[in-house]
Amino acid sequence: MSLEVRGLHAGYGRLAVLHGIDLTAGEGELVAVIGANGAGKSTLLRALSGLLPVTSGTVHLAGTDVTGYGPEKLARTGLAHVPENRLVFPSLSVADNLVLGGYTRRRGPAAARKEARDRAMALFPRLEPRLEQAAGTLSGGEQQMLAIARGLMAQPRVLVLDEPSVGLAPRLVGEIFSALGQLRDDGLTLVVVEQNARAAFAVADRVSVMDRGRVVLEGDPAALSTDPRVSGGFLGGGFAADADATTEAAPATGATRAADRR
Amino acid sequence: MTDLLQLLFAGLSQGAVYALVAIGFVAIFTVSGVINLAQGEFAALAGLVAISAVGSGLPLLAAVVLAVLSVALVAVIMERLVIFPVKRMTTLVSLILTLGVSTGLKALMLLVYGPNAEGLTPLTPGSFSLGGVSIRYQELWILLIAGVVSLAVYWFYERTLAGKSLRACAEQPVAARLVGISLTKASLLSFLIAGTVGAIAGVLASPIYFTSWESGLTLGLKGFVAATLGGLISVRGAVLGGLLLGVLETLTAGYISTGLRDAVAFLLLIIVLVARPAGIFGRTAEARV
Ligand SMILES: Nc1ncnc2c1ncn2[C@@H]1O[C@H](COP(=O)(O)OP(=O)(O)O)[C@@H](O)[C@H]1O
Ligand SMILES: [Mg+2]
Repeated sequence: MSLEVRGLHAGYGRLAVLHGIDLTAGEGELVAVIGANGAGKSTLLRALSGLLPVTSGTVHLAGTDVTGYGPEKLARTGLAHVPENRLVFPSLSVADNLVLGGYTRRRGPAAARKEARDRAMALFPRLEPRLEQAAGTLSGGEQQMLAIARGLMAQPRVLVLDEPSVGLAPRLVGEIFSALGQLRDDGLTLVVVEQNARAAFAVADRVSVMDRGRVVLEGDPAALSTDPRVSGGFLGGGFAADADATTEAAPATGATRAADRR
Repeated sequence: MTDLLQLLFAGLSQGAVYALVAIGFVAIFTVSGVINLAQGEFAALAGLVAISAVGSGLPLLAAVVLAVLSVALVAVIMERLVIFPVKRMTTLVSLILTLGVSTGLKALMLLVYGPNAEGLTPLTPGSFSLGGVSIRYQELWILLIAGVVSLAVYWFYERTLAGKSLRACAEQPVAARLVGISLTKASLLSFLIAGTVGAIAGVLASPIYFTSWESGLTLGLKGFVAATLGGLISVRGAVLGGLLLGVLETLTAGYISTGLRDAVAFLLLIIVLVARPAGIFGRTAEARV
């Protein structure tokens, strides 16, 4: 197993948010975690990547117990986290954002760094002509591509992504998810957290549904997509009708996101 | 005309000192949001260490190197003892903490070096006259060294991985941690830079402007104003702010009244904070460092 999470509890100070999450992602597997706003998806990824301390439970990365590792050490061990809202370094050039993505590999072989970069460029050819541009001047979709490419520069074993589709037009969502599928086909392990269930179901090997800090359903995307509990309750109002509306960043979701960010 | 040139030149050399102090403020503030009120004390301490080292027979250059290294060490120790242990640093907390360090350093300097103001031996003594403008060799040294140091700092932030990692911490601390940059190491590095440039400012200024246990107060305030003119997050802005402040001060002192010299900084500060809080040279958030 590339990533194995057992009974994970975490939260913010005295506020417990995750109540015993179990999640497994095998090598070369793409696991989608879906759930409504506030379900605890971002909290789960923050706990996985060491941004938040784990209260109890364990995280194993490729067989190593990495519970309690800080983000630095986890990045070095092979977990890359593409955060919510992309968080590219705005005044730095696209090329420098990529260089910093490989920060933990700075003392490693230059050939490996170059290979990681070539692969990221091949995955997102739109970035190539923009290498010298400040990252803050990229479009939302390009920033998301850069954020993923930056994560790949760390040469991870496991890539976790927090809502890569947020605020993007459906065509770009498709482009990004097909890139994730390609990474999976190349043998990378991916965990993608999404509210946009439709995009996630299309590429995922397995899906976990989260609600209020717990995994409430788990299984095959084909089976789950017809499950009335998914389309009904856990996504806060259905996924088929909702999916495209969320991708277009309607003003209402924009407002909740702004609150989310703080 | 000669008067004006004379004042401009004196202003630039004074301003170059402010610029270095200002770079120190920027280096620390961008990484951690800390406003380091002990920045002026770094300069004063360096001056005093160099003066006493020369007094005890060390060659000038060795004394200068010793002074810069000791102050860099003081800055690093300060970060570990006072900044690092704080879990949730805010700018207000940082003001209180660094004011404490500043006061402590002043007391220590008074205790060790006494109350008198002294000047370090200049790198090259004497002066010469160029078209009626009298120029001290030390002023040339100030301009030259401050110029080289500013360019080096700028190059560091623009071209080196370590420099870029500091900018990354300043812009997106969460993403910086996720790519594996340690914020605590970044903060330590920023204090090392601030201590070093502050100390260089102190030893450069001492032969002309003199140093005492309390000279860090004015120097620190002027450096802070210069940094604020540049928006507090830009090395280029800090340098321009320092030069502008130096020139405006000398022109005011020369044409209006010497008594008003120190008022210029505060007038500028008020104008900038009211009219352009992002600094007068700041463009947008994109223009950092
Ligand atoms: N920084 C934070 N401090 C305190 N509570 C937070 C913080 N971030 C999120 N929460 C809370 O944790 C819960 C889960 O949030 P989050 O993990 O962001 O959900 P999701 O990513 O699924 O939308 C919410 O109730 C939210 O209010
Ligand atoms: Mg979230």
